[in-house]
Amino acid sequence: MKIRYLCLASLSAALVACNTMPAGNSALDAASEHFRSAQLDSQVTTWAPDELKRAGDSLHLAERAWEQGERAEKIDHLSYMAEQRVVIARETASSKAAQAVTAGAAAARDKMRLDLRTAEADTAQQQLAVAQQSNLQKTAERDRAMSDAEQDRQALALRSSEFEAAQWQLAQAQQDDASKGLALERSAARLNDLESQLSALNARQTPRGMVVTLGDVLFDTGQSSMLAGGDHNLAKLAEFFTRNPLRRAMIEGYTDNVGTTASNYELADRRANTVMVTLVRMGVPSDRLQTHAYGEESPVANNDTAAGRQMNRRVEIVFAQLSDEVTVK
Amino acid sequence: MTTQDIPRNPGRVAARLPVAISLCLLAACASVPAPSAQMAVAEAAVQRASTSSTSENASSELQIATSKLDKARLALAAKDFERAGQLAEQAELDAQVAELHAQSARSRKAAQESKDAASALREEINRKTLH
Repeated sequence: MKIRYLCLASLSAALVACNTMPAGNSALDAASEHFRSAQLDSQVTTWAPDELKRAGDSLHLAERAWEQGERAEKIDHLSYMAEQRVVIARETASSKAAQAVTAGAAAARDKMRLDLRTAEADTAQQQLAVAQQSNLQKTAERDRAMSDAEQDRQALALRSSEFEAAQWQLAQAQQDDASKGLALERSAARLNDLESQLSALNARQTPRGMVVTLGDVLFDTGQSSMLAGGDHNLAKLAEFFTRNPLRRAMIEGYTDNVGTTASNYELADRRANTVMVTLVRMGVPSDRLQTHAYGEESPVANNDTAAGRQMNRRVEIVFAQLSDEVTVK
Repeated sequence: MTTQDIPRNPGRVAARLPVAISLCLLAACASVPAPSAQMAVAEAAVQRASTSSTSENASSELQIATSKLDKARLALAAKDFERAGQLAEQAELDAQVAELHAQSARSRKAAQESKDAASALREEINRKTLH
């Protein structure tokens, strides 16, 4: 009897030993190893602390089952569940970290764009300052040119008196030479003719020479192509050039101050060119014409009113002063 | 077996007794009820994970989840309810893993594209400011 009890006792002891140290808990070992490494991973602890805690709880269940000597199948199952929860924590952390990178990169891009715009605005302001500076210089140059023109005018006045003297001499010689008198008559007729032609175009005498103004009505707003009625005035001008083959002219484009300075220069330039091209097409040799764009410089009227702005939108044709025009045959 | 059989043929009842006992024993062993709720949860999870994006970015993970769900169905059909419950639980987590794996792959790709775009913009700005 005693031996049989001993046998039973040792058998049950062996069974208990088997139970408390079951083989095949490698799944549990792997799961706890993976959980520990996830715990040390700062990305996981930062971005998926809840998921990591759930993995820990799951692992704890598996460990409890192992301590209570549950069947290997159940321990394997619970270990697998803990293992997958660690994977879930890692994937969640990886997702969130990447999303944070995306958001950070987008913010960095926005900041770079803002910096770029600021730099562009600064550059534009510098360019504006430079443009204003050059405007000042141009104004000074124009003032100089005007004082030069004034000197020219005085010189012309001198020449005019010389001409009058010559005329007087001619009158003196008239009685002697009939053919000379005839020539003088022709010259005077030419002079009268010239004046009447220019007056038909509303030309006015300025220090810079005779100026014919083509008004804004020749052009559509903001456009450089001519309206139909403009051809008539230009035809008169072209005829004037044909009759006076030594006349040269500067075609000048002006605008009001609506729009940017740069776009106004461009519009003025295009309008002056349109006039030049039209005149050339009407038979005026191109070497007698030049264009210059003034844009919104030199307004002739106040830009604050619509009427003033309309007067400022114009093309002026300035005839060079030729001292020998009256002596041309 | 119907109640009508008993009065007509009492001998057959005696012959079936061991079968009935063993069935009762089996039923006692399988004290776990059918894991119908867990099965439904697993089915839903696998269903949710079965998107084109998941099968593109986490095809093997999704494969594991669907085959685990198949095994759970087989175990359920074989009345191995405990195993069926475990497999259904695993299938649910496997489906979540597949979904999250695909999502993190997409997020990493988006992050890389974002970084590339930022560096491209920086290069462009550097070129502009040089000129």
